Amino acid sequence: MNKFNYFKPSTLTEASEILRKYGENAHILNGGTDLVVRIREDLLNPEAVVDIKGIEELHHINYNEKEGLTVGACVSLSDMAHNEAVVKHFPVIADSAEVVGSGQIRNLATMVGNNCNASPLADTATPLLALDANLLVYSPEGNKKISIHDFFVGVRKTSLKTGEIVIAIRVPSYTSMKGVFKKASRRKDVDLSTVCTTVVRINNDEIRIALGAVAPTPIRAKKAEGFAKGKDLTDEVVHQIAKLAVEDATPIDDVRGSKEYRLHMVEVLVRRSLEELRY
Amino acid sequence: MKYQIIFTLNNEKVQHEVEANKTLLKMLREDFDLTGAKEGCGQGECGACTILVNGKPVNSCLMLAVEADGKEIVTIEGLSDGEKLDELQKTFITNGALQCGYCTPGMIMTAKGLLKENPTPTVDEVKVAMSGNLCRCTGYKRIIEAIMEVVENNKN
Repeated sequence: MNKFNYFKPSTLTEASEILRKYGENAHILNGGTDLVVRIREDLLNPEAVVDIKGIEELHHINYNEKEGLTVGACVSLSDMAHNEAVVKHFPVIADSAEVVGSGQIRNLATMVGNNCNASPLADTATPLLALDANLLVYSPEGNKKISIHDFFVGVRKTSLKTGEIVIAIRVPSYTSMKGVFKKASRRKDVDLSTVCTTVVRINNDEIRIALGAVAPTPIRAKKAEGFAKGKDLTDEVVHQIAKLAVEDATPIDDVRGSKEYRLHMVEVLVRRSLEELRY
Repeated sequence: MKYQIIFTLNNEKVQHEVEANKTLLKMLREDFDLTGAKEGCGQGECGACTILVNGKPVNSCLMLAVEADGKEIVTIEGLSDGEKLDELQKTFITNGALQCGYCTPGMIMTAKGLLKENPTPTVDEVKVAMSGNLCRCTGYKRIIEAIMEVVENNKN
């Protein structure tokens, strides 16, 4: 591992100052399960590593009906997935978190980190896209909110600017919401998604579909959603929605699966999810 | 540049100076001679480096040594009380749950973390919890049996 300077600031202001000072040569360290591997494999060569876990406010997780669920940047995936409010109000988020890596990884890794990596196959990105989550962001010019729909810019690229730090992810509350997360991978546990999907049904008349690992960023299947609006989920409708979901996907071939396999799995996973959402 | 860290290692308070570009696993093995935790893949896939940090199993190859500051760390060497082995160590031996032994410290630490949180898991829960630990020679049957023997004892 190459040498770097390690900083562990206790405030966002301080952390942001270091990030701005080092610019492109600085990297935030949160759970570290991705960063440490990337530094060790020489994919990244930072001059400064800024550990944000010393910032107390990033460790909070809250739920209330008005604001919804707020998951701080440093809340581990396992603490989040076992949080009472998450299990009760957003089981689909817990389900997506429980398939990231192994138990050991989930004790370190975080949902904010999973999304800030902006990997097209981030498991927790699909429920957040389907549920219209926002990222609460510290910025030297004043805190701001970024919609998850504007956050992913490309493979491993987000809309965050130098010196900005995600404080938390906020998911709005829904009076009636049911969601299903599904993942296709080469093996059942401890694997990256070949395809992952989240399908949610809101107020029994709106269907939202988010797809992972089939485009440069996680995406929503808008055509299928438009078609599904207000329709009863009969067998015929379910098949048509699943077929349409494929149209927004533009996957590539890679070591985890071919383009054709991915397109096929989008249809299969969306169809199975819709079948579960009927009841 | 070296960084001062203070942490609890196998129930003892320690103070240490460490470079930022050293993993926690490397520090434990090289600076403290605690060679139970092993490096298998170095990517968090195999679990051979599993230790407990604040009571929870983590991959020590994915943590920087400096991140140990203020933490409570237990390695396989900290499980036994002198010559008196931990129950999991005993059942791994009596069930023959190892061959080469390379993965064993990681297996036991992951199981320890699970049993701390849930002393009576089902077989399926044990399998899920152990899915981040790979064994390339014994297979998993005896490992699961060894853990379940402790679970059965916990029920009584």
